[in-house]
Amino acid sequence: MNLPLRNIRLVSGLILLAFVVGHLVNLSIGLHSLAAMEVWRAALVGPWQGTIGRVLLGTAALVHAALGLYAMAARRSLSMSKTDLVQLLLGVLTPPLLLNHVLMTSVASELTSEYEPSYGLLLAVYWSIAPGYAFQQLFAVVFVWVHAALGLHSWLVLKPLWRRIGGVVLPILFAVPIAALLGFAESGKEVIAKLAADPEWRAMIEASAAPIGEVRGRLDAIWSGTMAIYGGFVLLVAVFFAGRCLRDRLSRVTVAYDGGLVAQGRRGLSVLELSRMNEVPHADVCSGRGRCGTCRVRVDSGAAQLSPRSEIETRTLARVHGAESERLACQALVMGPGVAVTRVLPPFADAEAARQPQDWDEPARSPEGAA
Amino acid sequence: MSEGLSSLTMEAMEGAKNRLASLGADLAQAPEEFRALASSVSGELMSGSGVRAATYLWILLLLGCGVEWLYWTYAWAPMRSIESMVAANPRQVFRLGARRFLLLGAGLLAFTLAVIAALAAFAWPKGVQEAVVASTLFILVLRLAWIGVSVLLAPGCGRLRLVPADPRNVRWLVLTVLSVAGLGAIGLFVPAVLDKVDGAPHAAGALRFAAVALACLILVFAAFRFLGEAGAPHAAPARRLPKFPRAIVVAVMVVAVFVLWLLASGTASAIAAVFAVVIVIQMKMRELVFFFWRDLIDGAVPDATDEGVEPAVRADPTLLPSIVLSTARFVVVLLGLGACAVALHAPMSELAASQNFVVRLGFQLLGVAALALFANVVWILVRTTIDYRLRRIGPHDPHAPANANARLLTLLPLLRTTAAVLLGVLLVLSSLWALGIEITPLLAGAGVIGLAVGFGAQALVRDVIAGIFFLAEDVFRVGEYVESGTTTKGTVERITLRTVALRHHNGPLHFVPYGSLGTVRNNSRDWVIEKFNIPLPIDVDSEKIRKLIKRIGQEMLQDPEVGPMLREPLKSKLARIDPGVKIFRCKFQTAPGNQFDVRAQAFKRIETELRALGIPFAGGSQTVIIERPPGIGPPGAAQAG
Repeated sequence: MNLPLRNIRLVSGLILLAFVVGHLVNLSIGLHSLAAMEVWRAALVGPWQGTIGRVLLGTAALVHAALGLYAMAARRSLSMSKTDLVQLLLGVLTPPLLLNHVLMTSVASELTSEYEPSYGLLLAVYWSIAPGYAFQQLFAVVFVWVHAALGLHSWLVLKPLWRRIGGVVLPILFAVPIAALLGFAESGKEVIAKLAADPEWRAMIEASAAPIGEVRGRLDAIWSGTMAIYGGFVLLVAVFFAGRCLRDRLSRVTVAYDGGLVAQGRRGLSVLELSRMNEVPHADVCSGRGRCGTCRVRVDSGAAQLSPRSEIETRTLARVHGAESERLACQALVMGPGVAVTRVLPPFADAEAARQPQDWDEPARSPEGAA
Repeated sequence: MSEGLSSLTMEAMEGAKNRLASLGADLAQAPEEFRALASSVSGELMSGSGVRAATYLWILLLLGCGVEWLYWTYAWAPMRSIESMVAANPRQVFRLGARRFLLLGAGLLAFTLAVIAALAAFAWPKGVQEAVVASTLFILVLRLAWIGVSVLLAPGCGRLRLVPADPRNVRWLVLTVLSVAGLGAIGLFVPAVLDKVDGAPHAAGALRFAAVALACLILVFAAFRFLGEAGAPHAAPARRLPKFPRAIVVAVMVVAVFVLWLLASGTASAIAAVFAVVIVIQMKMRELVFFFWRDLIDGAVPDATDEGVEPAVRADPTLLPSIVLSTARFVVVLLGLGACAVALHAPMSELAASQNFVVRLGFQLLGVAALALFANVVWILVRTTIDYRLRRIGPHDPHAPANANARLLTLLPLLRTTAAVLLGVLLVLSSLWALGIEITPLLAGAGVIGLAVGFGAQALVRDVIAGIFFLAEDVFRVGEYVESGTTTKGTVERITLRTVALRHHNGPLHFVPYGSLGTVRNNSRDWVIEKFNIPLPIDVDSEKIRKLIKRIGQEMLQDPEVGPMLREPLKSKLARIDPGVKIFRCKFQTAPGNQFDVRAQAFKRIETELRALGIPFAGGSQTVIIERPPGIGPPGAAQAG
């Protein structure tokens, strides 16, 4: 994935995140009361419900999903950090979970003019009329948030800015979903109590929920159609990935490291992926995104057998003051035999090494021993 | 007696029958109960309270996982540095493993604390809390098992492995441990929830049975997979002594525990399982402990040949592992007893204060075991050190020339025996004391008897004490030729506590008590001077003879055979002039014991040289020539003695 595409994905993700934060903050107001939720809805979610907001949101969601699928299709192997794996799986699972909610809120109101979604109505649906949707919704909230938080953290933690804002952002990352879930639970209690105590309100809710029943069939059709398309894409990505792995499985390459270590694997894998697959300790703070520069290696021989530098790599190497002979192990694909590299940073380099690269220019390699 | 036994058997059989019957009822009624349970749970779930429980559960998970994730953002770099380190020896690997355990354990602790804190904070719908606690405990057990195997077996990182395991088996071993731990946790926690909260005792019983049976099945399979022939394919079967297959032993133990659980009670089977685990660990303990010293033990075989080279390893490499081994054995037994106490639901604090005779005896026996452990450690310390020194000195050979190590050879075994006796006596006395038996009268009695015996055994005591001083002052060593008085003489063959054995050069063996040894003349120390006389006729040239013998001495010094024995060469001087005889006194200095060979050689050479010069030895006879006037008869000879 090249630099502009990556930036587009980042921006689309940030747009989606901004919406999600507003939405979840609105939910957490449920800790106060249902009425307050409705009051704040205009300020927190309202801007996204205008035409521009909806177009922006829809485009961002489509672009983000498409670029995510593209990135998965472009993967060369499944070797990745645990957090990346979690992020990837949650990202894949999010659209099916979220689609019902989107259909019930914005698409349904397009389909029938009498339908006006409100927190009271939706909470009544979730807590009393059709609790099955609530479980879906809970999964969706957690999955979206964890996916977004991991992405945001892995992006921000590499920046020097993180030292100043980290202390604020981290608690927010924790507080927002928990407060939202608590607000969901509290307002749910309120809704249940109100349904039991206030027959008038109950009748009103039931009346406003009725139009949903009318368009139910069409909503279901949209859901299954979208899911079929999405599933087709995911399957295509999987097939593409598997095909790439199978195509390259027979051509093997070997990379020699400092300390006498050797890694072996398919041709076309990056040096970092080879390290991971062969248990070679290798620093990788951003886990192979080409952002942190901690995985950089000095190429001792076989530089011609590595893939040419991409723009991502050039920029990162410039930022970390990489020498002419150095490459980013996560970006340099091994295309042929005879590659020998020396790891520049010790394997335990952390995010500080990305934020403050000059401190690690001449790393003290003694704690690492002979590795 | 026989009546009691038979009634006990009958009772056990009755109990077994009852348990089997209830198990049958469980299995028969479980499906129905499970169905009822599923419908009630799904009904409960599809309601406001179900949604609330799910919401709280998600908060719980978010908090737990989030806190642990936060922890790992700090702990990740230390972990990586540990995993990338190259340990110099297995002990260092052990230290690295301990650090990994701490890091992983702290993460689990953070997770657990966050979950429990959140768990306590919410008002859960009815019955959910128990289920959540049970699942938390289940996750805890599973993760503890994972931490255990990932520290011990280090899947995916062979350098950090702490137990000897075939790398090809590691993945399956990990899977086995995790599945057994998971099934155990399910069997332990879930049925209680089913029984208490949901009122489904038969479903609980069936689930418990299924979990235990499956766990036992996995263990039996694992025993054959890891301990059978497939487990050790590289050991040449022809070279090995045939042993009873360990896989069958372990499998039988597992099955026995299962049958006990099935027929008797959970407590009995838990105790049996603890025993089985302790036995298996004890069987493997030596291998497990020595694994950490394999580099030293394989590398440094004590070598007696390189006397000049001081080995880098001063102490026996097996010393430390031996001590660790005995301590570990004791600790494992102690842990096993603790586990048994837990299985019996015996409160520890009450037990400690209990007046029950059996319980107190148990604690006293534990104390004795601790004393025995301590004595064993000291004994290993003494024995391995002494044995190692002895091995390095070399085998005992009384007829070899005595060297500097001979004294060690005599003293060390003596010291070993003394230490053994002393330790044994101390252990017996302190064990008696620990068992609550008054040893003061015993000691006092021993004192009185000792006094009496002491008077009677004065000679014995004198011998022993004299012996200690003889040895301490290095009067003689094994292999030396000593004389004491006029008749006792010979080579020291054996030194015991009371006597020294001297081999006379004619063969008899003298056993001399040290007390009567008295003045000792040691003929094997440092050097000896040998002197002998050569009588020559009166008319030889003294100076010529002196030079001749000096030359012979120099030649002997060059001789490859006797030269190295000489410390000072052969010399001579004119010692006396008797009527008709000049007596030359020769002397030389050699290492002890060689003087006789050298003297024989010297005689031979002198004789040869003199004969070549035509000089005879002075005869025993003297020729008296009587001066007669010329021409009166022939000359006559008279002999005088």
